[in-house]
Formats: sequence, structure tokens, C-alpha cells
Amino acid sequence: MSQPDPRLAQTFCGMSFASPLILLSGCVGFGEEYTRIEGFSNRDCGAICLKGTTAAPRSGNPPHRIYETSSGMLNAIGLQNPGVDHVIQNILPELDFNETRFIANVSGSTLEEYREVTRKFNDSPIDAIEVNISCPNVKAGGVTFGNDPDMSAKVVEACREVTAKPLIIKLSPNQTDIAGNAAGCIEAGADAFAVINTLMGMAIDIENRRPYIGNNQSGLSGPAIKPIALLKCHQVYQVSKAHDIPIIGQGGITNAVDAIEFLLAGASAVGIGTALFYDPLVLPKINQGILDYMHRHKIQCITELTGTLQLNSADSVLTGTGCSC
Amino acid sequence: MASPSYSANKSHRNTIFVVDAEILRHEVYPGHQHILRVQAEDCARQARPGQFAHLTVDRQRPMRRPISIMRASPDQGWVDFLYKVAGEGTRLLSQRKAGETISVMGPIGKPFTVKEKKPLLIGGGVGMPPMICLAEALRRQVDVQPLVILGSEIPFPFDSKPSQLMLQGMPDGVIGGMPLLEDWGIASRLASLQGYPGCYEGYVTDLAKHWLEALSADQRAQVGVYACGPEPMLRAVVNLAREYQLPVQVSLEEFMACAVGGCAGCVVAVKAEQGVAMQRVCVDGPVFDGLRVY
Ligand SMILES: Cc1cc2nc3c(=O)[nH]c(=O)nc-3n(C[C@H](O)[C@H](O)[C@H](O)COP(=O)(O)O)c2cc1C
Ligand code: FES
Repeated sequence: MSQPDPRLAQTFCGMSFASPLILLSGCVGFGEEYTRIEGFSNRDCGAICLKGTTAAPRSGNPPHRIYETSSGMLNAIGLQNPGVDHVIQNILPELDFNETRFIANVSGSTLEEYREVTRKFNDSPIDAIEVNISCPNVKAGGVTFGNDPDMSAKVVEACREVTAKPLIIKLSPNQTDIAGNAAGCIEAGADAFAVINTLMGMAIDIENRRPYIGNNQSGLSGPAIKPIALLKCHQVYQVSKAHDIPIIGQGGITNAVDAIEFLLAGASAVGIGTALFYDPLVLPKINQGILDYMHRHKIQCITELTGTLQLNSADSVLTGTGCSC
Repeated sequence: MASPSYSANKSHRNTIFVVDAEILRHEVYPGHQHILRVQAEDCARQARPGQFAHLTVDRQRPMRRPISIMRASPDQGWVDFLYKVAGEGTRLLSQRKAGETISVMGPIGKPFTVKEKKPLLIGGGVGMPPMICLAEALRRQVDVQPLVILGSEIPFPFDSKPSQLMLQGMPDGVIGGMPLLEDWGIASRLASLQGYPGCYEGYVTDLAKHWLEALSADQRAQVGVYACGPEPMLRAVVNLAREYQLPVQVSLEEFMACAVGGCAGCVVAVKAEQGVAMQRVCVDGPVFDGLRVY
């Protein structure tokens, strides 16, 4: 069983990641789905984020749930999941924790639900907990919490109270001051950030005069969002670096160049989601591409790359206050 | 809610193959229909009727397109698809030429399972391919006498020929069949509202009714219905099956992203013991019990 090159390995919030590549929540079910594909191995990634999980089972949104757009896709799954108890009792025991790290992705409609689901995962073999305060596809909780800095901090605080496992906060790009929000989350006990979740969007079938997506509005992912994601990642890094809080950069990464951009912008690890839909065998290719780059730049360990971006002199744009016109 | 449908022994692993497949042939038929043949050995060897493959259409498109397998040659390693240009993705696919490669990921999904002696296969439009695939598999089974009814409102992607295989209950003049099926010794008849020669002028379900009515009660007890096609047709087929109390399996379509069960983007509402479950068309289907989806 081949493992990624050791130069790609790192310790992330105490967990050993074999690769900086993290499979993103909602794209890979509960960790076993992609193994149907010959040549795909969970060992090629550092960790897998499981599908967003809530206290009770959720059947999700009506179809259609996905739609292709220019260089991206819209989704409104609506957090379909079998509920935290089922995940812990029936799914986690089936996972092979020798292959990679598994990270739970927690969602809720109330503070209490976030706390409850996190508490349950804390008493499970899961390696870490990602708190999704940025789901654009549910009516209560999700992004409505994530776009409100006070609520964001309260969710983090509630989860922090009930777990000692690494707590990764997944931030929404659908807010004005992502860096300010991140600062509040750090104070409330965040161990790491995932930046960014999907951007809210829509597509319309002009013949029927209806949105293609059953839920009307939906989340945009894929290459279309990469430039936005990259900037948000860099903005969060401005506040997180002083606290040694690592970032899983994500949004539209499809190849090694994209991945390296995020690492330079401040990410310690990078997420792969939508790219798998086009190329399910992309993981070893990106691992190799990063290694080639490291070799060319005489870098011995992946961690040496993080945040090594050299800014041009006008850095005010990056704090969100400057004008780029 | 659909729980992951894998087992503790991880038997689901390594069942789908991804390959850069050479296009061997790409033929165009009237009504923007295309038949695509690719060299994809593992997929060809494992393919079962009702399964599909997930194809890249163009480097610029972030998503693949799920397309039903029409035929597969385990010996020669090719797989045939029939599709109709329905949007930008299939339009781009239709421009790919023989000699070029596309990425083929398959076979995917739960296949049809036939238990009856008299399977009735109904395919409408781009729903024809799985029926042809199923017919080819049934061809090798002794004692099974399938009937294939195909419907289309655009010219059929083959030249129909008068069938030599006699059938009970066919209205006068309904003699046209698909030559390939005829070669396999499988009876077929065609239906269309367009008045094509030799075709039944009406719906596939009305033609099926003629046949069912001509069967004895004993014969009818051996019928099972298998269908793929546009939603209104599938609804009508399931209603027909209800009326005659026949088992019915339907193959469904939905937009797909991952096609391996990872995103829950392709779900359909399925009646289950406790209420309705949202099941994934890609891996829980695409073949479902018709009585549970319509
Ligand atoms: C189909 C789909 C479902 C998703 N479900 C979740 C989810 O349950 N929880 C979550 O935190 N993010 C979810 N996301 C967001 C992704 O995890 C990721 O943050 C986003 O898609 C950006 O990365 P990408 O462009 O590489 O896909 C989902 C994304 C997609 C495309
Ligand atoms: S397409 Fe992703 S679950 Fe079916």
C-alpha cells in the first residue's frame, strides 16, 4: 500500500496528515464512497471530512440538487444525513482509521444542536470536528450563523465547551468581514479554520422561468470561486498566523498549481471537493505536482510553504479596507 | 435516508474503473442522436444491463455526464452508448471524433434483475439503450422470451424491418422491429405518434396493453416489466403494471456530480417502510422498483 512521499506529511492540530490534501465535506459521503473506484485510495489524502451531520436525520432538499455552471457547479443538498447517532454507531465502525484521518462535519439549526452533535462526536473515534457555520442550503443555522460574527463566536464557544478534539471552524465567504469573524472565533476557542465554503448563487431555466435547483438558491463551488477563496484564505491568515492557527484552504482547487497558491496564501492544508467529480483519480497527481514544485524550489517539508507569499507593496486591499478600483 | 450501501467486507471497493478511452466510432443519426463506441476494457467486462458510465465531455466543463450503457463487448473491450444532444454538455460530447480520447468511468449502479419468463422491456427515446443492453443479456438465457417495445418521436436510430417473429395481440400493420434484436431472436415492436411505417401509432403503453390482453392469465403471471425513458412514459408504464399487477423496474435519470454516492446530488424520492427516503440514483439506482418511485 503506497503512501504519499514523507515530505508531504505534517502534523495538523496534533493529527498526522500524510498529505496536505483534504477531501471536502459533502463531496465524498461518509468516507467510503470513492473507494468504489479502482485506483482511488483514502491513503492519498491527509484527511477526509465526512458529510455534514445533524442531531436528527435529515432527508435534504427536493431535486434538482445540482447544476453545472461556467467553471463550477451549484448545489443545494440540504444536509441530507442519517443523524449523528447513526453515523457514530453504524458508519464510523466501518471506516479504516489506518488509511487516513476522519473529520466529522457538524451542522445545526440551533446553538444547542451544534453543542449536542459535537458532544456526541467527542465520545467517538473521530479524529477532529469541523463546525460548519457556513452551509448556504438550510433555512435555520448554517450560514445565517456564520455571517453573524457574534453568533459565529457563540457556536464555537458552545462546541469548545464539549470537546477537546481539534475544532476546525468552516467559514462562510458570504460575509463582509471574514477576518474579523475569524478573530472572534479564535477567541472563542477555534483550533483551525476551513476557508471557504460555497458562495450563494442561482441558475435559471429560462424556458420554464424557474431556478434549476429545487431549493431556488444554492452554493457555488469549483474553479469559478477559486480567486475569491484564495483572497479570503489570505485574509484569514492575516489574523490566524499570530495564533499559530492553521487553515485548510479550499474552493475550486483542481491541480497542484491551485493547491500551491493556497499554501502560499497561508493555508497549511488544502481541500479537494468538486475537482473529484471531474477526475476521481486527481489526488496522486496533485501530490506529485506539489512534490515536483518542492523539489524545484529546494523545499524539504510541505510546512515550509505556508504563508510564504511575497506581497506587492499595496497590501491594504488584503485587509478588506482598501479599494481596488 | 439512504445509508451508505457498502458492507463491512468492503466488497464495494474497486468496482468502478476510470480510463482514458479511445473513441472507436461516433455516428450521428437524425434528431441529434449519436452512437458512441469507446475502448474501455474493464468497463466492458463488468457492465450489466441498467448500468451507466460517467463521461467527460470537454476539458472546459467541470462535470461529467452519466450515459446508459447500450452494449458492451467483454471480448473486444468496447462499450456503446446512445445519447441525444440535450444541452451544452452533450453538444460538446457530440463533437468528439474517432481517435480522440474521453475519460470513461464505469460501470456504475444497480442493474436490472430479471426473474420472469416473459419480461416486457419498454424503452422510450434515449431510454432505449438499457433495454437493448438487457435484451442482449437475456438472449443467452434459455426459456426466457422477452418482448421489447421501443418508442420514439424522432426517427429511430436504426432502420426498422418487418419482424419475422410472430406476436400475439398486435394490431394490423404493427410489424416493424429492430433488426439487431431480430438477429438475436428477440421480438420487438415500435411505437410512435409520428406515423412511421410499420410502427404502432400511439403510446408504448397502449401497444403493451394489446399484447397483455392477448395473453392467458397463466402467461400474464409470468410477465415482469422493465422500462427506461422520459418521466411521463415511466409513470404510464408503472400505472400499466399496477393495473395488471405486474412487477416493474424502472431506470431513472438525474443530474449527477460524483456518480459514486458521495454528494447526494442525484436523489429521487422512494417510498420506504417508514415514509419517503431520498435515494441516490447513481448507486442506490439507477434501477428502482417502479411501484416505489411513481
Ligand atoms: C455537493 C456538495 C455538498 C457539500 N456539502 C457540504 C457539507 O455538508 N458541509 C460543508 O461544510 N460543506 C459542504 N460543501 C462545501 C465543500 O465542502 C467545499 O467547502 C466547497 O465545495 C468548496 O470547495 P470545492 O470548490 O473544491 O468543491 C459541499 C459542496 C458540494 C459541492
Ligand atoms: S451523483 Fe453524487 S451521489 Fe449520485
